[in-house]
Amino acid sequence: MENNEQLERFFDQMKKQDEHIEIPAFPEVQTRKFGFWIPTGIAASMIFAFLFIQKPAPVETPAPEVVIITLHEDENQNQHFTIEESTFLDTWESPTASLLSEY
Amino acid sequence: MNRSQLDHILKAHHRDAYLWARQCCSFEDEMAKDVLQQAYLKILEGQAKLKDASKAKTWLFSIIRYTAIDEIRKGGNVVSLSDSYDPVEIIEEIDATDYEGIIKHLPEMQREVILMVFYHQMTIAQSAEILQIGLGTARTHYDRGKKKLRELITKVQIQEEYGK
Repeated sequence: MENNEQLERFFDQMKKQDEHIEIPAFPEVQTRKFGFWIPTGIAASMIFAFLFIQKPAPVETPAPEVVIITLHEDENQNQHFTIEESTFLDTWESPTASLLSEY
Repeated sequence: MNRSQLDHILKAHHRDAYLWARQCCSFEDEMAKDVLQQAYLKILEGQAKLKDASKAKTWLFSIIRYTAIDEIRKGGNVVSLSDSYDPVEIIEEIDATDYEGIIKHLPEMQREVILMVFYHQMTIAQSAEILQIGLGTARTHYDRGKKKLRELITKVQIQEEYGK
């Protein structure tokens, strides 16, 4: 067994000297609290995005593509035009149908 | 391990941890305070986890050492490992009571092993764990460090005697 007396004495004296060293107070370490706010923010954003995507898009009424011009004759035998706009036709009569009956 | 248990362990070893941080930072107080603060942050933020509570001091010392190495690297003051075997000669005169000055003349690894064993009452195996080296290598540093420190102490004592 080696004799470490000289070294032990050296370190004992060093420790005695170190007793005068000012030890800083144990720091109150503020850890970064990412654990709660970031997931909460992500979850809230996802909920908003989900609701936004799920909202039914308003049904747009299509622009009228059909113009119906009707010729009426009243009791005095005066002729009147009625113009209507619509997206569809209930009945359709060929503009040349009258030719079949007249000729 | 929860936050209060960690707090308790850190508080229990705070004095030793600060002294070790100082020793890892070439006895510079301000750097040691920064290193210790960073080491505590690493621990409390969960970047460093303690698996075995019985090895708390070894674990804490290891974190402090690596944090100090990073801090020294940032400052651009790096000593390569191969330098640890170079003989160190006393150039200037040192006071026999300037223990830190004498210790600083030991190569880095030898200084760390010697401080852990003689100052912090650790075993060579614990020192090896902190330095993350093999037990045989730690023993080599220990033996060489002891030899060198004895030489240094003797030289300083002779210098003092001769000076008188």
